[in-house]
Amino acid sequence: MEKNKEYMPKIIAFLCNWCSYAGADLAGTSRLKYPPSILPIRVMCSSRVDPLFIIKAYLGGADGVLVAGCHPGDCHYDKGNYYTRRRFALLKKIFQDLDLEEDRLTLSWISASEGPKYAKVTTDFTEKVKKMGENSAKNKIFL
Amino acid sequence: MTKALVINNNYEKGLIDFLKNLLENGKVKGVFSLKKINKEGDVTFSLISKPEDLDDAVPFYPIMPVNAGSLMSRFTMKQPATESIIAVLKPCEIRAFVELIKREQGSLENITILSFTCGGVYTHRMVADDLITKNLSKYWDAVKSEKILDDLRPACRSCDEFIPYNSDITVDLIGNKDIDKQLTMILNTEKGGNLVKDIKGKNVEKNLNDKKLENFKDKREKEKKKLFDEIDPKIKGLDNLIDTFGKCISCHACGRVCPICYCTVCEFESPDAEYKPSNFETELNKRGALRVPPGTIYFHLGRLDHIAISCVGCGACEDVCPVDIPLSIIFKKIGESVQKMFDYVPGKNTDEELPLSTFEKEELVEYEE
Amino acid sequence: MSQPEEKNKSTVISVKKDLNTAIIDFLKEGIDKQVFDDVIIPMRVPAKDSFAYVLVRNKSILNDGFFLPPVMPVQGGRMVSSVTRLGKKDKKTAIIMRPCETRATIELAKLGQTNLDNLILISMDCPGVMPISDFLKDTNKQLKNFEDSANNLDDKIMRPVCQICDKSSMISGDLHIGTLGAKKGSFYLISNSEKGNELIEKMGLKQNENINSWKEKVKKISEEKKKKRINKNKELKKKIGGLDNLTDAFGKCINCHNCMSVCPVCFCRLCYFESDKVKQPSDDYLSRAKSKGSIRFLPDTMLFHIGRMEHMSLSCVSCGACEDVCPVDIPIAQIFTMIADETQGLFDYVSGRSLDEPIPFVAYKEEELTDMEDSND
Repeated sequence: MEKNKEYMPKIIAFLCNWCSYAGADLAGTSRLKYPPSILPIRVMCSSRVDPLFIIKAYLGGADGVLVAGCHPGDCHYDKGNYYTRRRFALLKKIFQDLDLEEDRLTLSWISASEGPKYAKVTTDFTEKVKKMGENSAKNKIFL
Repeated sequence: MTKALVINNNYEKGLIDFLKNLLENGKVKGVFSLKKINKEGDVTFSLISKPEDLDDAVPFYPIMPVNAGSLMSRFTMKQPATESIIAVLKPCEIRAFVELIKREQGSLENITILSFTCGGVYTHRMVADDLITKNLSKYWDAVKSEKILDDLRPACRSCDEFIPYNSDITVDLIGNKDIDKQLTMILNTEKGGNLVKDIKGKNVEKNLNDKKLENFKDKREKEKKKLFDEIDPKIKGLDNLIDTFGKCISCHACGRVCPICYCTVCEFESPDAEYKPSNFETELNKRGALRVPPGTIYFHLGRLDHIAISCVGCGACEDVCPVDIPLSIIFKKIGESVQKMFDYVPGKNTDEELPLSTFEKEELVEYEE
Repeated sequence: MSQPEEKNKSTVISVKKDLNTAIIDFLKEGIDKQVFDDVIIPMRVPAKDSFAYVLVRNKSILNDGFFLPPVMPVQGGRMVSSVTRLGKKDKKTAIIMRPCETRATIELAKLGQTNLDNLILISMDCPGVMPISDFLKDTNKQLKNFEDSANNLDDKIMRPVCQICDKSSMISGDLHIGTLGAKKGSFYLISNSEKGNELIEKMGLKQNENINSWKEKVKKISEEKKKKRINKNKELKKKIGGLDNLTDAFGKCINCHNCMSVCPVCFCRLCYFESDKVKQPSDDYLSRAKSKGSIRFLPDTMLFHIGRMEHMSLSCVSCGACEDVCPVDIPIAQIFTMIADETQGLFDYVSGRSLDEPIPFVAYKEEELTDMEDSND
């Protein structure tokens, strides 16, 4: 697959129900512009995101994976996002050590009222991922 | 300075006599140790109750058929030991046991741990070829003179955690030129001290020889750096990972023998990981072809994510791999990297929580967007 | 699946360049003529140091196919089960596997672990397979070694159970590539089922070719191997018969259960010998040690092996995958072959021979096996 300027990356976004998903919703209802690269998956809490989901998305060919949750201290379930942060950091370190384009993974705290932040994070991330080109994992046969 | 007991006897014979004494006096009801189990001289981990059976024990034998940490976990997971037991374990086996205890897979209750400064183990290949007996004197010469042998497990050659944590008694072996005549047991805890109360020997104040062991640690760390540098090109980037794991036959033996991998039904053998016909369709439409059975890289990346934080670097994985993938160095390297993130040494402190089971309110800001 | 021989069609296919290319061309033609859509065939892995099965949809990728690799890293039966256990393949798929792998696939279908719908199983005359550890010592040299040995019908370098395999040309699938006894520059394509007949017809191949020369060659080789097999089994029984000898044979066993995990017919997701049933409280282990003086820990090594024999020897296809992966070189495949021959022989059963033959565990006759009973009438 060529590095096509027109290529629209596929970004899997895990959004926590109480904060980030609501924030994304707000961005939509406020008619804020954000790229069509995002494929949102609603989870009740960002700590529901098993690192294996991220690995599977990456190996499946996702050009980017976004995990978004409530700001630390504001988790609807009290401490879920603290665990999310540790798990995400560990996985990102593994990707870093194995040179697996760790910049394709990103963690962001987006609250329910932060529609503009959602639009900005997704726009910036899409730009970053576009520059990296397509994830070659999607073409591999011997995975 | 710690209390120590020096017994005028060959290190192995002395230890066997000591263990016999413990059984005879009822101070312990069972001894875990490597032991010859048949006339061919095959050695495996055993639970010994009769003093005379200790005549076949080979507590310091340089092999590791199974990481005994998982064996101690199996012994105590359904029920903590109810009677006093002593277990002769290698440093990484103790660390594995502690990591398993943190995961509620065992208990240290009523268990006394005896360990030693560890010179490493030979591979299953050498056991299969009956080469251990031939190499024993070469092995012990290397231990006495602090040399690193070429044919040990790569994980052992690069191990810098050869001084045991959490042992009640530590036998001084590495760099100790007197082991043929003297058994030196450093008594780290009161429990250990109590067990040797009636044993004939010289009570001294002694620590392990820090200078010698520092030198040896340097040698091991040099070897570790060499092996880590060699593995880098094999694992950096998806294409190199695919090349390295191309031979993988998905037998999952690495997971099965890993002491930290304790799950009865592994996630990667559960229905979660099975592909449905629709999954195959998606993959075929996407890629044009797919290696089957699927999920080779997924298994290894997933296992890294699951256990790297507790990897004790024993090398059981690489030893059992039928296609010689350099797993132990890969897992050791990634393991140390993620452990450093949390300043965590697996198996060192029994009361230190597993990094993923706890958190700080402010941390790891560099990983956030 | 198997039907009266007279109904089976056979044809001859010519080889222009080499056998592998001819088979790949044949498979490509099959896709072009829409006889099947997908193919499963071994291929070299990217680093070229081993082989793996690849499920192929894109015809051009077939060019990398390698129909007879020198090693069997994954047993084909296990591989097919991973593809169709949860449901049939919607698209017709041609699968190239060795005879023992095809038999394992049929056996797994009987065990409910594989759906054979839309699968066209194609086997070939098998010269054997090298132990993977031998192959990895020098992959290029060993590949040449394998090809020379195969051409000369020399099996010295093959797995020990391959050297005593009398079923290396057994047809249990839909089609079989018969190279033995074929005229130079050609091979037989022998059908064993309706699916096979259909394929030969749809491919527009000349049918009803005479395969007597193949049959004769195969019969000769099989009889020789059978003699060898019976002798080897006898020798082995002498060596490991009796509880002491048997226990000694497993003295080095480290209970890794590799043998079980690569076995195609050991399909249980949670093996009995890894389940809660074998996890005892510490008191139980300690009292066992007390009663015997000492026990190996973990105990029950023999229970695992003899138990596994009891569970699966009726389905054992003697492929030797188990022995390939034993880290301490226990001749596990040879032992299981010896037992499986006896247990399958008891019921005149051959694992995976035919889909119509029920596994003896689930069938019975009202009068049989009286010699196994206590004659107390």
